[in-house]
Amino acid sequence: MPRTYETLNLASDLTTTRTLLHESIPITGNIVSGTYGVYGSERNIKNYAHGQFQSVYDYPYLSSSANHIFDLTMGYDETSVMSSSTSIQNAKKINMYNEFSQVLLGYTGSANTIEIFESDLNFGDNNRQMKEVFFVNFSRLLVKDQIKKGSFSISLSTGSWASGTPGAINATTASITLADVSASETGGTNNKGNAGEYGVLWRSNAPASGAYGLVFYQAGIAVITASIFSSSIVGLQQDFNKTPGGVKQSLSASLTGSSISGNCDAFRHRLQNLSFNNSTEINSTIYFCRVPHNKFNYSTNPTYTSASQIRVKAKASDTPVSYLTTIGLYNAENELLATAKLSEPLKKDPTTELTLRVRLDY
Amino acid sequence: MSYKKFESTDIILNTMRAAPLCEFIIEPGAGAIYYNNRPERTGKFVSNVLDVPNGFISLYELNIDRYNTSSAEHAAGVPMNPLIYSFIEKDSSRYSFKTVMTGSESDWDVEGAGTKLYAAYPFSASITREFMTGTTTQQYKAEGSPATSLLANGAGQRIKCTKTGSSETAVLEMWPCSASHPHYYGLRQRLDYYKWRSPHYGITGSSTGSGGTPAWIKDQQKINLISIPSIFYGSRIKPGTVSCKMYYTGSLIGELVDNKRNGELIQVSSAWGATVTSGTNNVAGVVLYDEGFLVLTGSWNLTDDNVFLVRGSTGGSPVNPQWIYFGAGAQDGINYTTVTIDASTGDAPSNITFKLSFRGETETSVLTMFAHAKRGETNFSNNPTFIKHGQSLLRNTSSHVYEENTARTIKNTVSSSFTNQSASFKRQVYISRIGIYDEARNLIGIASLANPILKTDDDEYTFKLRVDL
Repeated sequence: MPRTYETLNLASDLTTTRTLLHESIPITGNIVSGTYGVYGSERNIKNYAHGQFQSVYDYPYLSSSANHIFDLTMGYDETSVMSSSTSIQNAKKINMYNEFSQVLLGYTGSANTIEIFESDLNFGDNNRQMKEVFFVNFSRLLVKDQIKKGSFSISLSTGSWASGTPGAINATTASITLADVSASETGGTNNKGNAGEYGVLWRSNAPASGAYGLVFYQAGIAVITASIFSSSIVGLQQDFNKTPGGVKQSLSASLTGSSISGNCDAFRHRLQNLSFNNSTEINSTIYFCRVPHNKFNYSTNPTYTSASQIRVKAKASDTPVSYLTTIGLYNAENELLATAKLSEPLKKDPTTELTLRVRLDY
Repeated sequence: MSYKKFESTDIILNTMRAAPLCEFIIEPGAGAIYYNNRPERTGKFVSNVLDVPNGFISLYELNIDRYNTSSAEHAAGVPMNPLIYSFIEKDSSRYSFKTVMTGSESDWDVEGAGTKLYAAYPFSASITREFMTGTTTQQYKAEGSPATSLLANGAGQRIKCTKTGSSETAVLEMWPCSASHPHYYGLRQRLDYYKWRSPHYGITGSSTGSGGTPAWIKDQQKINLISIPSIFYGSRIKPGTVSCKMYYTGSLIGELVDNKRNGELIQVSSAWGATVTSGTNNVAGVVLYDEGFLVLTGSWNLTDDNVFLVRGSTGGSPVNPQWIYFGAGAQDGINYTTVTIDASTGDAPSNITFKLSFRGETETSVLTMFAHAKRGETNFSNNPTFIKHGQSLLRNTSSHVYEENTARTIKNTVSSSFTNQSASFKRQVYISRIGIYDEARNLIGIASLANPILKTDDDEYTFKLRVDL
């Protein structure tokens, strides 16, 4: 129990800092397809009875060690040419598109129309609209506070399906890489949506370089246009999908004739690499605890005295000495809130004056 | 949007106390520790999906079944599945990784501002055994004095420092300086402090008879220190739950429990072998509940057979199993799997198994809030679909006037019991989420319901929200 307290001057003895801790998150195609079971029934992929999305784990999900890494779904706007009453899960695909659009972008116009995704930073100009998209909704375990701007990259295979092994795609054919190369901490993003900032996913290599998706940094969601797999962009794709039964489907046939989970399977099998860096904010308060030369030269530790005499003093004229081991932080009512321990005791006598820097992270 | 204020009776803050069970099985002959009977899980890329040895906890468990393929392996067809790692950029906040920096780009003193400092996952933890003993009775002398013996040849042994004269071989003075076992010295004060709990914590035992020698001096005893990281037990080890069992060829030869809940580890089981002093009711050590240590000093034989539980630099030594050998092989830096066995003098370490079990204590603050949706209230939604589709938002707008359409109607969502018949309109909403706001009306939390709750004007609901702090 201290006898004296040194009051902190809130103007000069206190400051706050913020530091970003990052993690590099690589997700290879090996994790999301082909490793833990055969195409269409992998043990690390969870499909639900509602059929609205599928969950991807990094290990068979029945194991307690498995981590949920992202959810995958697709959808299209009701004005898309894919929208038809004859399409499989037509309403659900529209609902998924609308749900994400509502959450990420919001509404527009006097009639509160749902916004349409656009592969640019101005979602109000109706240019470069993406009406058929895949959504990759990353787990908060991986995203933490947010995806680091300028670090997102995804590579997708654009080859045709191999004829032998189920789920295999010809390895010799090309892939495309999308990255948020124009985004950084200082610009290249839009924060006018409902879910924080987003950046544009660019394809830099020819042919057909341009923007083909968005990444929402705080929400941890990537939106990728299905047209990335169309013949006008990648130059082939008569067989975007191959059902577990072995039936090949073009992009439009798959979007309309396969379920959401079927399209997600096709997308997963075309995912070669995905990587980003996440960020975690560490907020700190730093207290500068000042130890004046004429204070804290005495200890209330029971071992400080022996037979009513200070151990470290041989005679009365000796200067007192103490060793600082702990700093206690108290509130205005002198209630102990926290203690800070020194790695080794600091010698203190009336000839020295110290400032101890105490950092509190939260 | 209107806000409802939590009243004082709507918020409860309490503490949930749990006692997680921890069990370690140590097999020195196999060089293995098993934690809570967890088997090794084989993955597609690595033999152990957690990437930590058995008996260890992986702190974040982020790298599951991942393997950091080298470029040569990748060229040879080994699939890429790189590890997740963390990094930080050096700046004026002086943040860094404490002990896990790797690579040349990790040196805080050398690298400039903005440089990335890396840390490798996984972070892991397990129990550790430290066998602390001195070698011989050491001789000390003051300058000009003959050498005298100091009996601190146990855990309290200190390294001998010497002062030599003009000739290097002429030793003038010898004295004990730094500790051979600094962990013992780190705990020495704490052990003595807990004498109020039991005298067995004391560094020195009470003397027997007038002028007799102390019952024990821990400095001179061989001490077996078992360190348990707090990630296993939480706030402290729960008193009365510690159990140490030693098995020889599958049979229990001794068990220690802290059944008095005062930290004393008392042997309760009968010893194995008729020729061995049983040791039942003897105190073989103490538990530091708050600090997570077991300090074992029991050095009586638990069986009359010898086992190779001591290993030197070249070979092993057969000894009678005693409590000071408990936990041999638990991260004590000794490889018992390759010890040379002389079957004529003792058995292999594989004949011995140790089991350590205890319960921890974790305390979790739980905030419970009751959110009330009263009758006649909470009956409107800001969701755009709450209003019937196709109605104009504005009634009148010009450079002078902006007037919303007050005649817009709410969509009737009342379900009819009959086909081709619309039910009468009733005011109702579906509650799907509850937002929690601070005093400045910043949204600080959202509670989502598993299924939306239908609330009509006549209904009254109370939602119980719970947050583990």
